[in-house]
Amino acid sequence: MSGGAAAVRKGLGHHAVHLLLLVAFGALLFYVTRAVPEVNGGLWMITAIGFLLLAGTLLSELLMPLGLPSLTGYLVAGVVAGPYVLNLVDVQTVKSMSPINTLALALIALAGGAELDLNALRKGVRSLAWATLIQSLPGLLLVSVSFVAVRPMLPLVLRELPWGAFLGVSLLWGALAITRSPSATLGVLAQTRAHGPLTTFTLGFVMSSDIVVVVLVAVILGVVKPLVDPAASFSLESLKTLGHDLFGSVALGTTLGLFIAAYLRIVNRQMLVVLLVLGFGVSTVLDYLQFDALLTFMVAGFIVRNLSNQGQKFLQHIESTGTVVYVVFFAIAGAGLDVPLIRVMWPVALIMAAARGLITYAGARVSGWLAKDSPMLKRWSWSGMISQAGLVLGLAAMVAREFPGIGPPFASLAIAAVAINQLVGPILFKVALDRAGETSRVEQPSFSSIRPPAMPG
Amino acid sequence: MNPVLLLMGLLVLSYLGSFLVGGRTSRGAGLPSGVEYVALGFLFGPHVLDLVGGDMLASFEPVVQVALGWLAFTVGLDFGYAGEKRVRPGSLLLGTLGAVVTGGAVATAVWFTIRHLHIGASTRDQILLAGGIGAACSETTRHAVRWVVERQNARGPLAERLNEIAHADDLLPLIAVAVLFALEPTPAVAVPLPLRDWPAITVGIGLLIGGGASLLVRSELKLDETWAVLFGVTLLAIGATARLSLSTLTVSFFLGMAMAAFSQHGRELRAMVAPTERPVLLPALVLAGAHIDFQSSPYLAVVATAAIAARLVAKLVIGWLMAAGSPTARKAGALVGLALMSSGALAISIGLAFALRFPGQVGDTVLVVAATSALFGEFVGPYRLRRSLEDAGEVDRAAIPPAGAQGAT
Repeated sequence: MSGGAAAVRKGLGHHAVHLLLLVAFGALLFYVTRAVPEVNGGLWMITAIGFLLLAGTLLSELLMPLGLPSLTGYLVAGVVAGPYVLNLVDVQTVKSMSPINTLALALIALAGGAELDLNALRKGVRSLAWATLIQSLPGLLLVSVSFVAVRPMLPLVLRELPWGAFLGVSLLWGALAITRSPSATLGVLAQTRAHGPLTTFTLGFVMSSDIVVVVLVAVILGVVKPLVDPAASFSLESLKTLGHDLFGSVALGTTLGLFIAAYLRIVNRQMLVVLLVLGFGVSTVLDYLQFDALLTFMVAGFIVRNLSNQGQKFLQHIESTGTVVYVVFFAIAGAGLDVPLIRVMWPVALIMAAARGLITYAGARVSGWLAKDSPMLKRWSWSGMISQAGLVLGLAAMVAREFPGIGPPFASLAIAAVAINQLVGPILFKVALDRAGETSRVEQPSFSSIRPPAMPG
Repeated sequence: MNPVLLLMGLLVLSYLGSFLVGGRTSRGAGLPSGVEYVALGFLFGPHVLDLVGGDMLASFEPVVQVALGWLAFTVGLDFGYAGEKRVRPGSLLLGTLGAVVTGGAVATAVWFTIRHLHIGASTRDQILLAGGIGAACSETTRHAVRWVVERQNARGPLAERLNEIAHADDLLPLIAVAVLFALEPTPAVAVPLPLRDWPAITVGIGLLIGGGASLLVRSELKLDETWAVLFGVTLLAIGATARLSLSTLTVSFFLGMAMAAFSQHGRELRAMVAPTERPVLLPALVLAGAHIDFQSSPYLAVVATAAIAARLVAKLVIGWLMAAGSPTARKAGALVGLALMSSGALAISIGLAFALRFPGQVGDTVLVVAATSALFGEFVGPYRLRRSLEDAGEVDRAAIPPAGAQGAT
């Protein structure tokens, strides 16, 4: 018998055991939810976190032979366990798990910032500038046009809008479409440990697009408001507040980054607790100050990486803590996907997602040509731009708040389209990293390789 | 106090706790039971300074349950092992016997006291009270022996025996807790089961999930995936058991025990998990302290005195049994059993679990007595242990640092 065949058989055996255990743990949870139908508040949240952690880890292992990223496993685990399939984790529990999201987003932003190497960014600044410009302006307009093109398929409230208002809504849709997902990008990179031009480009693009999008949405909201709501007048007042917030976020992020670098240099212990304090404590302070948490943490990570020699150490600490948090974060995102809504809206959402994908692809080819990128970057740079997640949902909620008349159907459509991008994006990005040869071949430390320290009796 | 501030405070404590397990110089720092952190919590709690109010404590219950469950999991993983060595069968027997004798004596003394004073609204309450205090007072903290051994640089058969006993007496108290919790099943349960089945279900859930987790860690998982599995199974077990109103402590303990027993990586698991114990313990002790209410019953002092006196007598009997069977223990003198008086993390965890499960007189009394017993144990246990080891000739006096230097650690 060949070693390869033995390995496959062993792999199959392990996968079978994992699948059985996953079913068994699910069955236990299912039995308990039926035996005691009354939900016990916070404690049930703990159970849900535990199950999502297990299910996400096991499902990602099971999907690995198919070449899918772990993140897809986490998302699928969440969808299956979530309120719309098995209802092991109900809607209320999903909502109550928001502190995990806060922690995860802080870690993701810190890691994202710390991955950005200034020298590498300088080398790729032309590519980044062209990509940002093309994706943000022509990209936004073309997605808006595609929204206009599918008008007859849209929910009644939207398609019955007067043309002026409808064009305004189309612009809002375009603005939402150019948001990316730093979390999905970081999630795939954490698994693949990829390094190379595509990785650097995608990180730089996705991280900087957060700022671009926030500014663009503020501008578009100001422009669109009088079109949708005749009683409103043109105002860019929100830009002033935004400027203040952005400046404050960068300043605070810089201070935080210097503090982290000093801590790593002088103490360099118990980073888990320090990261928890940053994730929960600092996020609360930022929320109070109404600063952009993602930007603040990203700047902090960037400072640690580029203004000190503690960057690698910092990244290792985040990676060792982050994996567990990422599993729960993406599984919660999966559990939060509104499956019935997708079932209703899937034709138009799929068309919109496909149009966005095509426009992103075309934009990437054009920007790659203008920036004289390498053939590999020209071919694959679009792949990391497909994923969308929390930011777009936040913006959709903001739109729903600003325009109560059209808000709910608009937000529903956005949620359905994001769900598709959320599921497809990470797969495309991982395929691209594999094809570009940037996925790390170095084995991650395995559990059995631990050398137990001498423990006192 | 803002909940985020409380969370930050607990994280800071956790941070400090992690340093206490860090280096040799700090190993002997603090008290072995950690009762000073209970006192700190009491001071901050709703009954003294009220910095942490009752509502906030209630909102932190999931955190407390997870902390207690994780501690029980670490105890289960470590059960039957002293360091990297398996506890000898004799020590296992002595530890178990010691827990039965001590827990039984304490429960009996408390039972007669509360019957005499007519404490408890019903017989069931009285059983819960006596049983809970018995369970909480029956163990000897594993940290106590290590604490003295580290400080006194003691090595020898008696130190080894006492250490092993302290590592082998947690099983019965936790089974007792499972039985006592089953006395009041949740009214929300839709599947009627006989009372006697619930303790078996508690243990069964722990063993089954632990067995499943052992199968998972058997394969070549990455380190972070192993952490995900450990956290996942523990949280799942804690949450599922809490929903059924069963003992989360017991289920987590058996989960850890099953993983240590069934997994070929038991040693690695213990090495992974051991450093997390202290960082989790300190915040849990502070929260336990915040739950303490000395006003819950006018007879607290009487009940606590009865429990502690019975515990003292039981330990003396165990010491006498040890001395009868072992020449080394005989050299340590007739009071050698008092070396096992220290109680701590598990005792207070049991007390806190009772306070959460049976709020009011029953739960509060068990917690107060557990904390008082731990405090009393501090005065007797370490001192007696040091004397016993000296009498047995197992203390290397030359290696003991001078008093000033020791105080600095």
